[in-house]
Amino acid sequence: MIKLENVSLVFQGGSVALSNITTEIKEGDFVYLIGHSGSGKSSFLKLLYRDTYPTKGIIDVVDMEVSSLPKWKIPILRRKLGIVTQEPQLLEDRTTFENISFSLEVLGYDAKEIDAKTSTLIDLVELQDNAYKFPYQLSGGEQTRVAIARALASNPLVLLCDEPTGNLDPDLSIQIVSLLEKINRAGTTILMATHDSSIVNRRKKRVLELSDGKLIRDETEGTYV
Amino acid sequence: MNKLSYVIKNTFINMRRNPLLVIATVLAVLVSSFLVFTTLSGRAVVQNNTSRWQNGVHVVIFLDDRVTTTAHKQLQESLESYPEVRMVDYFSKDEATEEFKILFKDQPELVQEVDFEILPSSLRVNLNNPSDYTLIIERMEGNPAVKEIRASGEAIERLLSLTNTLVLAATVFAILIAFAAFILIINTLRLTAFAKRKEIKVMKLIGASSTYIRLPFIFEAIFESLLGTSIAVGLGWGVIQYSKDSLVAESIFDITISDGYLINLTLGLILSSVLFGFFASYVGIRKALNE
Ligand SMILES: Nc1ncnc2c1ncn2[C@@H]1O[C@H](COP(=O)(O)OP(=O)(O)O)[C@@H](O)[C@H]1O
Ligand SMILES: [Mg+2]
Repeated sequence: MIKLENVSLVFQGGSVALSNITTEIKEGDFVYLIGHSGSGKSSFLKLLYRDTYPTKGIIDVVDMEVSSLPKWKIPILRRKLGIVTQEPQLLEDRTTFENISFSLEVLGYDAKEIDAKTSTLIDLVELQDNAYKFPYQLSGGEQTRVAIARALASNPLVLLCDEPTGNLDPDLSIQIVSLLEKINRAGTTILMATHDSSIVNRRKKRVLELSDGKLIRDETEGTYV
Repeated sequence: MNKLSYVIKNTFINMRRNPLLVIATVLAVLVSSFLVFTTLSGRAVVQNNTSRWQNGVHVVIFLDDRVTTTAHKQLQESLESYPEVRMVDYFSKDEATEEFKILFKDQPELVQEVDFEILPSSLRVNLNNPSDYTLIIERMEGNPAVKEIRASGEAIERLLSLTNTLVLAATVFAILIAFAAFILIINTLRLTAFAKRKEIKVMKLIGASSTYIRLPFIFEAIFESLLGTSIAVGLGWGVIQYSKDSLVAESIFDITISDGYLINLTLGLILSSVLFGFFASYVGIRKALNE
């Protein structure tokens, strides 16, 4: 599903975000990408959805060679991925329902399908009572759920989440992870960046640990140490 | 279908964001198109009028009443021998009377008053090149058979050169204003893109194609440009209709312009405005979306 070979990312000015990373994530996996702030987690994810491209190395995501992907193919890649960024990036002037239906609209669904599918997604992330609220009326956890529902609009093969529990208290964080586990059980591969040790240690999953841009650990049933 | 409605809906949502800029843009396009429309049709009117003149009489040589038939024949033959002369017509006193009656048939009191004896006979000269009229005047002046020489050339040449100057000046202004419209469109699109930066970012994340993201911008530019030009062309047709109907214009100048010409001009302008909007949005989007 995701494959990196000797991937390095060096920014202009010489700061090294990632160095020489080789790893593979299989279909249906649930993987935590951990590391301190500044260790390169966001950069890792951005490489996968072609927000940046590597200085060196080969990246393969959902059978597309991302490292040499022409610009016009980026939308094709992104439709196979669900992306939840560090900030939820909700549209402030739209309700939960509209934020989700917006992405279905963008993807070209019919008006009839949009309503039905939006409701399904709202049920999935359990936001039935908040469907007609605006983002400022939602808690942090609820906003993250909207972002997750929106990312699922295209029925992605892989869901990439960048610190979705970043500023949530532990209970809410666990709820978000449970939601992601539910999505994962339905077949979606999940890669979640986090520096939240309690989450990682709660149920042991595969852990990739970054430190100063280097992949220092890859454990199938890892913990946050 | 759904995509089209999305694009149209967003085009209007975008335009409602900066109504003043949209108005300024439409006005600039309007003024520019109106200048082009009126000067081009004005020039066509002048050309139509002068082309009749080009094929008509360039110099009229009024003959002295005492001139004998042989003398006017000689004069006519020598005129016809000049290389710059294409044709010479003799116009007798009787023919001059007939012509006068026809020309002033709307004013019977005038026709009653006039003593037709004073109307002279004349030689009407058609030249190969109308601007050679001065040569004819030079040659005929001082000839005892000639009473008076009139050449319409000077006035018409002045009219033509004035028209050309006006067309040139109007073209320069039209281009300047079109450039202003161009900058306005680019700025409108930039403001729109700025206001929608988050929406655009989300669309890109979700996997919207770049055409899909761009279409509302392209539509907006084309719509504004098309609206301005359409109003300008409508006004232009109105002005021409008004001039045709107005008596003042009728007495000075004949507003002859074919509908075919106007329709072509209209279609040409409409097409240009679509291309203009398209080009402006192309440049505007590159600046606005940083691509
Ligand atoms: N656009 C950029 N230009 C230069 N350096 C950057 C840029 N983005 C990130 N970095 C640097 O790359 C390193 C990794 O950043 P990031 O991937 O955001 O880490 P994390 O998400 O783990 O906190 C940091 O040192 C950061 O300062
Ligand atoms: Mg980060």
